[in-house]
Order: sequence, then C-alpha cells, then structure tokens
Amino acid sequence: MRKHKALLVRIGVVVLLMAVYQVVYTRFFLEKDLQQHSPIINLVRKVVDEHAEIVYVGESSNLTFRVDDLDKRRISEFVAEYYPSIKTRDITKEACHAGVYYQLLRNIPATSSVKTVVVTMNLRSFDAGWIYSNLETALQKSLVLLKDHPALYNRLMLSFKGYDIKSDAERERQFRDHLKSDKFLPEGSFSYRSAADWDYDLAMTGKKNAAGEYDKALTELACHYVKSYAFQIDTLHNPRILDFDRIVELAKSRNWNLVFNLLPENVTMLDSLVGDELLGMVKASRDVLVKRYSKNNVLVVDNLEKVSLEEFVDTNWTTEHYAEFGRKVVAHGVAQALKRFYPAAYHQPSFTTGKTTEFFNDGEGKTPWGQQQTLTTDQHFSGKYSSAIGRDEQYGLTFESSVRRLPDSLKVVHVELMLFQIAEVPDARLVIEVSGRKVEKHWMPVAINGLTDKTGTWQKIQYDCKLPRDFDEADLVKIFVYNPTAAMLYADDIRIRFEK
Amino acid sequence: MLFNSVEFLLFFPLVTLLFYLLPHRFRWVHLLVASCVFYMFFIPQYILVLLVTILIDYVAAIYIERTEYRQKKILLVVSVISTCLVLFIFKYFDFFNQNMLLLSHRFGFYYPEKAIHFILPIGLSFHTFQSLSYVIEVYRGNQKAERNFGIYSLYVMFYPQLVTGPIERPQNLLVQLRENKVYDYDNLSKGLRLMLFGLFIKMVVADNLAVYVDQIYADPTRYNSWSILTGLSFYSFQIYCDFLGYSTIAVGCARSMGYNLMDNFKTPYLAKSIGEFWQRWHISLSTWFRDYVYFSLGGNRVKLLRWVANIMVVFILSGLWHGANWTFVLWGFAHGLVYVTETLINRVTKWNYSERKGFSSIMSVMLVMKTFLVVTFIWILFRATDIHQVRAILGSIRHNFHVVDDFHVDRKTWAFLTVFIVSDLMLFNDRFDRWCSRLQWLPRWTIYAAMIFLIILFSSVNNFPFIYFQF
Repeated sequence: MRKHKALLVRIGVVVLLMAVYQVVYTRFFLEKDLQQHSPIINLVRKVVDEHAEIVYVGESSNLTFRVDDLDKRRISEFVAEYYPSIKTRDITKEACHAGVYYQLLRNIPATSSVKTVVVTMNLRSFDAGWIYSNLETALQKSLVLLKDHPALYNRLMLSFKGYDIKSDAERERQFRDHLKSDKFLPEGSFSYRSAADWDYDLAMTGKKNAAGEYDKALTELACHYVKSYAFQIDTLHNPRILDFDRIVELAKSRNWNLVFNLLPENVTMLDSLVGDELLGMVKASRDVLVKRYSKNNVLVVDNLEKVSLEEFVDTNWTTEHYAEFGRKVVAHGVAQALKRFYPAAYHQPSFTTGKTTEFFNDGEGKTPWGQQQTLTTDQHFSGKYSSAIGRDEQYGLTFESSVRRLPDSLKVVHVELMLFQIAEVPDARLVIEVSGRKVEKHWMPVAINGLTDKTGTWQKIQYDCKLPRDFDEADLVKIFVYNPTAAMLYADDIRIRFEK
Repeated sequence: MLFNSVEFLLFFPLVTLLFYLLPHRFRWVHLLVASCVFYMFFIPQYILVLLVTILIDYVAAIYIERTEYRQKKILLVVSVISTCLVLFIFKYFDFFNQNMLLLSHRFGFYYPEKAIHFILPIGLSFHTFQSLSYVIEVYRGNQKAERNFGIYSLYVMFYPQLVTGPIERPQNLLVQLRENKVYDYDNLSKGLRLMLFGLFIKMVVADNLAVYVDQIYADPTRYNSWSILTGLSFYSFQIYCDFLGYSTIAVGCARSMGYNLMDNFKTPYLAKSIGEFWQRWHISLSTWFRDYVYFSLGGNRVKLLRWVANIMVVFILSGLWHGANWTFVLWGFAHGLVYVTETLINRVTKWNYSERKGFSSIMSVMLVMKTFLVVTFIWILFRATDIHQVRAILGSIRHNFHVVDDFHVDRKTWAFLTVFIVSDLMLFNDRFDRWCSRLQWLPRWTIYAAMIFLIILFSSVNNFPFIYFQF
C-alpha cells in the first residue's frame, strides 16, 4: 500500500512538472520552435497584423507565372484590384490542401479583422496522388505546433512523431493500392472498373502522335491524366471533403463569408488525350463539390473549365499553374462572387482578362512594368511618382510584352506620355524595340526633342510608330524612354495603344 | 511500432497495466497478442513470415528432442536451413542475384535479372537468430523443447526485444515466460528509469548527431577534412546511442513487467582493444556467434591458421548478418583483421596490453583512444551505401584540409554529446537504473525532470528510424 502511495505521489510530481514545463516552454522556447519547424505561421500572422478583411488561401496556383507574362502578379493580387478599398491579403504555400488551410485558418484569431475567406479548391487534391503524396509528411510536420492543444503537448507530438509520418515507399504503396481498390460506381457504367485498370489498358494500348507512331511521352501523359482525374469523390471518406467540411464549420463559428474557388483544370488536354469518359468524371466530381458546398451556404466559384489550353504553364504534366490571362480569369471569377458581400466596393480593374491593345501606367508602381526602380517623388504629373531617366538610370519605365499576348495583324503603336525636362536633352529617345528568334531586332528610336521643345513644365508627347512587317512573328516588344546623358527627364502617365 | 512514437507512449502503459491486472495463466496470451499488434504496426502481412519461422523451429525442436544421433543432426540441419532460407529470400536474394549476374556477365553468360525487391520484414535477422538459438540449444540438450506453441511464439515475438534484440537465449527468456511475475514497484521503477534513459540517448543524443552525420555522408567532397573526421566520430556515437538507446528501452520495458533481458552493451568505447570491444558491443550477437559458430568451427583449440580462418569467418558472417552489401562484408573483414593482428601481436610479444595490470592510466587512455579511432574508421564501411562513398570519404579526408565549408555543429549538440560521454564514463561497468537507485531522492528526480524536459524539447524533429531496424 505504501508503495502504491509512493507511486501516486510520483505521478503527481510528474503532472506538476508538466505544468511547469508548459509555462517554461511557452515563455522561452515556443517562438523559436515555430520559426524553425512551422514558419508557415508567419503567413497567418502577416494577415492578422495587416488587418486584412479578405483572405485568399491558396497553393502554387497563386504563385506560379509564365516567364513571358507581362503582369506577373498573383491571383490574389488581381482579386485585390477589384476591391481597392478593402484590404485583401493572401496565405499561399506550395503543395498545400484543405487540411493545411484548415489549420492555418484556425490560427487566425476570432477577434481579427478578417471577414471573408477565399479558399482554393483544387480538384486534384481530392485524388489519391495528392492524398498519398510524399510531400504529406513534411506538410503534416509543419502543422504539429499549430494544432489546438497545449504548446508542450504539440512539442511532444513533434518529438514523438505524432503525425502522419510515412516513408516514400509506403505512400507509393498506398497510392497504388488505392488506384486498384477504388472501384467506379455504379458497376458496369464505365469502361473500366478502376483507375488502375484504365491506366494499365492505356499504357498497353499506347498513344500515337500526329505521324501515327507510338509516342511514349504522350502515353505517359495520358496515363498520368487517368491517375490524376479518374476518381469519384467519396463524400463520406475522402479526407479532403472532411477538411473542407471543417473549414465550413470554422467559418460558421467565426462568422466569416466563405468562398471556395474551384480551380481550372486543363480539360481540353484531358479530353484530347483520354476522352469523354474521363471528362464526364471530372465534371461529375465538380458537380458533387458545387452541390455539396452551395447547400452549406458557401459561395462556390466554378472556374473548372474557364481557362483555355494555352494559358496553362505546364503542358506536359497536370498542374494548376496558369499564365497571366489564366490567373486573371480565375481572379475575375472570384471577384464577381465577392460582389455578393461587397457590392459597393467593387471596382473595375485596369486589366482585362482577354487580349488587349491598350496599356496604361500611371507611374505609381502598381502596374508591374520593367524599370520600377526609376520611380521617384522628385517630380510627378499625377499621383506621387514619376519615372526619372538620366543620371542613375538610362532606361525609363519599360513596357514589355510578349507579342503573342497581343492581337494579330497589328500595324501601328500609338505612344502617349507626360514628360518633364529641365533643359532639352538632344540625345534622349523614345524607343520601340521589337525582337524575336525568327526576326531581326528592330530598334526604332525617335528623338524626344523632335516631339517637344518645352522645358520646365509637364507636357504631353505623342508618337505613332509603324510596326515592322514581321511583327506577328516577333517574340517581344518593349517601349521605353532612353536617356544616355546626366540631364534628367521625367516620364509619367504612359499610355500605349496598338492599332491594326 | 517504434519505441519513440506516440503509439508506443499509449501502448506500453496499457499493456503493462493489463499485464499486472490479468491472472498469471492469461498473461502469456496477453503478451502474445500485444507482440502481434506491435509487430503488425509495420507491414501486417509479414506476421505470416514470422509464423513460418516459428512453426519450423517449434516442430523441429520437438522432433529433435525425440530423436537421437544422425536423425537428430539431420533434423537440426533441416531446421537451420529452412529458417535461414526465409532470411535468405527476404534479405539476401537480391544481393546474391545481382552478384551472380555480374559474375555471369564476366564469363559471357547473360540471363534476365529477376529481382524480388521485398521490403525487409522488420527485425528478421534478430528473431531468426533467436529462433535458431532455441533449436540449437534443444539439440545440444541444454533446453527442453517447448510444447506450448503460444509460449514458444511469445519467446520469439516478445515485443520489447522483437525487432532489434537483445537476441535472447531460451535458458534465460523462455524460462521467465513461464514464471509468475508479481507486481513489484522496484521492477517498475527500474524499468521506467531505463526507458527514460534509452529515450534520452536515442532521441536527444543520437538523433541530433544524425543530422550532421547525414550531412557529411551526403557529399563528403564538399567538406573540410576536420569536418569529415568530426562527422565520422559523430557516427560512432550516433550508432552507439541509437542502438544502446533501443536496447535500454527494450530491457527497461521487459523489466517493468518483471522480465530480465541481457545487457547488450558495456561501455564499448572504453575498450582497450578490438577483442575487448566485441566483449562490450552488441553482446547478444557476439556471444551468439561465439557459441554457435566460432565454437562449432573449433574455436581456438585448433592450429593457428585454422584459428585465423575461424575468426575471419565469424567476423565476415557477422558483417553479412548486418546487411546484404559488400560494405558490410568488408566491415566484418576489417574487424576480423584487426582482431587477428592484435591477438597475434599479443601472442608474439606477450604484452597482452589490453588486460595487463599495472599499465599507467595514460597508456590506458591512449589504448582506449586507439580502439575508438580504429572502430570509427571501420564504421565508414558500415555507414557508407557503397564502396564509392567509402573512397569519397577517405579521399576527402586526405585532400580537403584547405577546403572551406559550412559545417557547423550547434552548441546544444556538443552539450548533449558531452553529457552522454560523461554519463558513459560514470556508468563504466554499471547500468543507469542501478546507478540511479544509489542516489538520493532529490538528485534522482532532478535527473528525471531534466531528461523528460530534454526529450520533449530537444529531440530531433527529423525522422531517424533506429539504425538496427534495417537488419
């Protein structure tokens, strides 16, 4: 009996110790651990610290751009442009999914200024490839310290690997098993019983290229599409459904407006590679998601088929990485949905979602042209800044666009800008530069003093330049003011218009 | 299930509590079920592989006991070959196949490679050897064949030592499994102490060192010679702490239920010679090879050349036991070579320096350091994935004295290593639980509190499975 009593006393001491450790850990070690093992928390803190009202939560679709994008901004930044009066911020981390989003959103304090949350809904995140991805271990590890438990308990879980930790080989095995065991329903309504059967058949049959020859790369891609999209969402067991459900519950408890942004998939490629049956499956999955969450008072933005083939950055794999217009299209969809919550704050943005011929930069640094470092407050026609060209920077604010982003058969470019010069600069030029792999480089300068001779005041200069005949075959067009002297020039409110 | 996992933090108290609550006659069933659950946490279907080994040796032992002379020997050979065949298929087939393929290519024969690529069942080498020791002991008449299939299965599968030993003998463990274990506070507290110490050295010392070892082995050519040497000595401590940690947890876990398992280590890095090192390192394996291989080959009661051959065979087999790779074979060979050389020098010079009394303490320290250095260098063969990596490491040590690198060991890792070295010196020929029980209440609890704190807060968050799991 005495021994039992001694044991109880010792257990009591251990419990007391744990309480002391909790205090010590939280006070002295937690922050360092968070920075080391869960730096993802900083994204959440930034949103809270900057008093954001709309939060866009996403993965690499929000980060990736194509090299030739004139405007390399994120989807969330495009969305923000529709609501300039409302602070919009993003939480973006590659390879994330709803399970991660939930933990991140949970860490936004209930007292924060956040009112609306836009959550990226990636259809592929419901598939086995993503669920059993080998990135999952690292993701889950980064979330342990953010869970809703005492800090010491979370650290204990991290030390004792109390999260979903599996080797790459185990995950691969799970993935393969799932493809085999996840049978399509109802039985007999599909040509194949499972994604594994479909994948096998496609691999054996093979895909042929335009010349009618067996194409290994194309076959692999088609098989990959099958493995990525040939699934039916099991709303009872799919972990992603459970994660999105938890986000819905969280939003309800925090009184947030909730928007699910169903990302576009490359349905054109999918259709051409595999065919109608897979496309039907994808659409059915879409319908399940839209129906399920619309019923739960979530605004589901269906962008699934909104982006065209050429706007996908990766053509040899399944990704949700979009080029400029693709991102703008997604942002447009989200922005239209947000009108429901912010009808008065909606503002037409400066960009369009299709090919455009008109471009404008007010020199305030918001429009992402080249040579932003030339912006200065020394002089300005409108706003606070203008582009200073001369002593430190010979090239002014630069319009730079891929020619294929412009409509075909353009003949003329009309340039209009506000210019300030202290004295005449005979060597300064307005330059239109056209280049490409298939064309000669065209450097078409016009002397500034041929366009104006006024000094000490802002003046509008205009110039119409005939585009070279081979313009359609060129790759890049650049327009800028060039000043190789030390005398200063200032340019503001640059407007460019291409004409046929 | 890993000892350093959340699952085990729940599994252990539950199993131990139930063990003491159940009447004696149900305990072996309870432990057997618990051991199955423990094993099936890895790849559940592999329990069938284990069952095959158990079944072969269970039946063989009964027949061996019943028969005599030649028939008895045949049964033993059949049993050993069948048990080893399972080991061969899962562990050595691909290695054997690859080498046969290379050999046949050299002689101009070409045939399609048929690799099996099985994931190695966890602890296969350990429980195979434990099972073999039972059959051999029954054959030698030192052990009665166990008639209760469940208890024999528990002997092979006893969860604390199922996956990385200690490799027990039936005379020790099988007998204890039939004993009625009464709840004893001392056993429980000693067991828990050992487990705490084991967790500390595995999770805090070994895993923090592993980060630096992995860094060096990933690309040794990038690092300065001194950094590489630091990494190599870190590996000596990493593998020691890792294996000692696991063994200590295993011993502690069994002890908390009243079972005594053999100690696997006795401060091996304080050995003055390779011979002494092997008396202190992985004792359950080295004694297994001594009792069942070395003695069977004639031991040291043979002519010199035969003795050298016996030693080399034992060490090479020991290397091969660790893994199906030439690096392990070379590792065993290197140890054998050093062992033979040291023994021959002793015989010729009659120095017998490792056991000689009256040696000055400075000389002893130098001998300990010499052994540590030799072992550390031979560990390269153990840790490297192939011979190219061994060459890269040795080459980089030779040539990289002026290379500037970014190898930086943080202070906490040095501190943990220092704490461990001091504790190892203090525990010379002793064990943590016994050493602790001699302390007063306050310092003892201060040590516990510090260990718990360090385990929770300073364990490496990277996943470093127990090194010996792969064997």
